[in-house]
Amino acid sequence: MLRVSAEVTSSEVDLQAINGDADSAAVGIEFGAQLMRFGEAVAMRSQDLPQRRTELLEAAGAAALVDAAGVAANFQRMVRIADAIGIPIDDMQAELGRNVRAELGIERFPSARNSLG
Amino acid sequence: MTAFDYRDDAPYAIREDIGREHRAFWQRLAGPGSWWSGEQRVAIAKASRGALDCRLCIARKAALSPNAVQGTHDHDGELPEVVVDAAHRIVTDQGRITRGYVEDNAAAGLSKPAYVELVGIVVAVFSIDEFHRALGLELEPLPAPREGDISRYQPAMLSEDMGYVPTVPPDGTVGKEADLWPPGRTANVVRALSLVPEALRDWRAIASAQYLSFAGMQNFVKDEARSLTRMQMELIAGRVSAVNECFY
Repeated sequence: MLRVSAEVTSSEVDLQAINGDADSAAVGIEFGAQLMRFGEAVAMRSQDLPQRRTELLEAAGAAALVDAAGVAANFQRMVRIADAIGIPIDDMQAELGRNVRAELGIERFPSARNSLG
Repeated sequence: MTAFDYRDDAPYAIREDIGREHRAFWQRLAGPGSWWSGEQRVAIAKASRGALDCRLCIARKAALSPNAVQGTHDHDGELPEVVVDAAHRIVTDQGRITRGYVEDNAAAGLSKPAYVELVGIVVAVFSIDEFHRALGLELEPLPAPREGDISRYQPAMLSEDMGYVPTVPPDGTVGKEADLWPPGRTANVVRALSLVPEALRDWRAIASAQYLSFAGMQNFVKDEARSLTRMQMELIAGRVSAVNECFY
């Protein structure tokens, strides 16, 4: 979806942000590094979370922090629905999705078996 | 005291729709569902909250295979072990849930419809708790259960074409399921909980506040009611999914 929204807005993004590269997260996305690190700290249950929260709050403001918390919390749920039910990717053949998966190297994840067999 | 009264409890202004949807889910959580009583639903929520500190879950997460570590989960005995195990795994080790695990649970008494409702409860409570944790807020106390009859409702049209459980097929949103998604194709993650339509309705309601509504998801630039652009939202979504090693 990041790639799709970047294409729709004719923006340049570096997908290595998804793998946790803060410099990549800053490419084409305002407050990208702070947003990425905050989401990462939530998902990792990191002890850095208070620091990442403050960092995002000071950079982007309270409304952005609250929305970011909502998105992170929502996807903490979505990944668990997908894996607990074992759903496959909707269209494994779509070129955009194939390219993104190759770039991120995510076929190593255990839940890839639900789509790859 | 009103549940999720963020006006008093939060150091930041939190959108009114978030509090409203969290309160609405807490109300539904307390009452009877399709396959679990209100008492059982609240007990499942309580069990799921204990997953992160469960010694068995911590040992299993570190093991090469979850089956390599035997034992019992830390819990108060309100629910059967098979139910606690499912609730804990969904929170702590969801990437290693397999078809065989779900089938074995069904043979052990945790039917697939009951499992789907359990998934819906666990992920909704976990997501609301994660929102609080992300903002440094105390967790909301669980609601007092309400009595009432479970419905045992199942959709008329079901398919076994994907995942570990039956789901409503893409063209199956007819009759009582007409509101689940527009007729025709939809994303697999939307169909995932459709064996228990109320669980999917909970999913949608919470997502519409924490993330985006179905209509909002069609806007890849920026939803007027959000302070983040879609790219900013998807950056967070992608990083959270990657940390969780979610292929989907």
